[in-house]
Amino acid sequence: MKKKSAKCKSQNYTKFYVLLFALLLLPPSLRERKRYLVFEVISEREINKRELLEEIKNSIYSLYGDVGASESRIWLIGYEKKKDMGVGILRCAHDKVEEVRAALACIHTVNEARIGIRVIRISGTIKGATRLTATFCIISHTPFQHIHEKR
Amino acid sequence: MPNFFDLNVHAYPETDIPVDDMFRIAKRYGYAGIAITNHDDTEKGKEVIPPLISNFIFRGVEIRTKSVSELKRKIKLHYGEVSLLAVHGGAEEINEAALKDSRVDLLAHPCGEKGEGELSHVLVRYAAENGVAIDFNLNAIIQSRRSDRARILWKMRQNLKLVRKYKAPAILTSNAQSKYDLRAPREMIALASLFGMKKEEAEHALSAIPEGVLEKKWKKETEVEII
Repeated sequence: MKKKSAKCKSQNYTKFYVLLFALLLLPPSLRERKRYLVFEVISEREINKRELLEEIKNSIYSLYGDVGASESRIWLIGYEKKKDMGVGILRCAHDKVEEVRAALACIHTVNEARIGIRVIRISGTIKGATRLTATFCIISHTPFQHIHEKR
Repeated sequence: MPNFFDLNVHAYPETDIPVDDMFRIAKRYGYAGIAITNHDDTEKGKEVIPPLISNFIFRGVEIRTKSVSELKRKIKLHYGEVSLLAVHGGAEEINEAALKDSRVDLLAHPCGEKGEGELSHVLVRYAAENGVAIDFNLNAIIQSRRSDRARILWKMRQNLKLVRKYKAPAILTSNAQSKYDLRAPREMIALASLFGMKKEEAEHALSAIPEGVLEKKWKKETEVEII
């Protein structure tokens, strides 16, 4: 009898956690819509992720102010670098793509190293963005052929 | 997708980036053509005009002077030799002289590189009459910050209003000094939206109008004397 009740209890617990998890997740209709920008960087020297993110944030703050930055909700998802090139994925709000693109274009130096950023493609899902990155790297012979495997 | 052109790019010998590098990067960014317009008064002097490498690159020159008489002399010197004759704008008398002369193809950064000059409605009207393209220099927006950028954007907004009113040809250029200053066409369109240019307008200013400038579409045919 004791054994059965314990089993019952554990089942109840799992049910409870599943329910809790479902409650914590936002329903799909309320989730915020996002876009993923795949971008490439050419620069004078190798630039790490932290420096780049700092510069992107600076650029957005100086161009659109705090309110604009809060609306665009940027998030640097991944960045791969090799020598003077880099490829990365940036997440932003779905209706602020052009604004973020302008802010990326306004970046000209990172810690006194000159830099140019170009948005290659835009995707609605992170899976699509990583696939795009991989195909772009293979086509253009950039040295990041395995960026999708690392993620 | 239309063919995009960038008509104000500086390369070797004015800067240390060779034309080949610029060519490679611009092609990668999706341009159909760039025009190398080096300043004619740089120290390395005589070989300003780059040799013809491919049909992708147009040869041009950007005349930079302080006096009107010298400008006229230099226009006479370079006219017919290059496919794009640009004038380095900024000072009001230079702007006026360049826009009144129908031999000039392009007035580069009419508000100066830092936004110190000005264009009036009279000058824009001359531009429309003589088919001189007015250039919106996006490098000024990229390189400056805070109050400088606010002033430049305000001036560009004013210019855009005049250009729309008198239907003068307006183009977007990067005025790139190195390969890091080049921006892809979509980025240029996004930057142009900062001073109120619509997407279609910006696309036009990057593709059809530069093409027309290179073909001398808006130039009146010179009268031929019959003896």
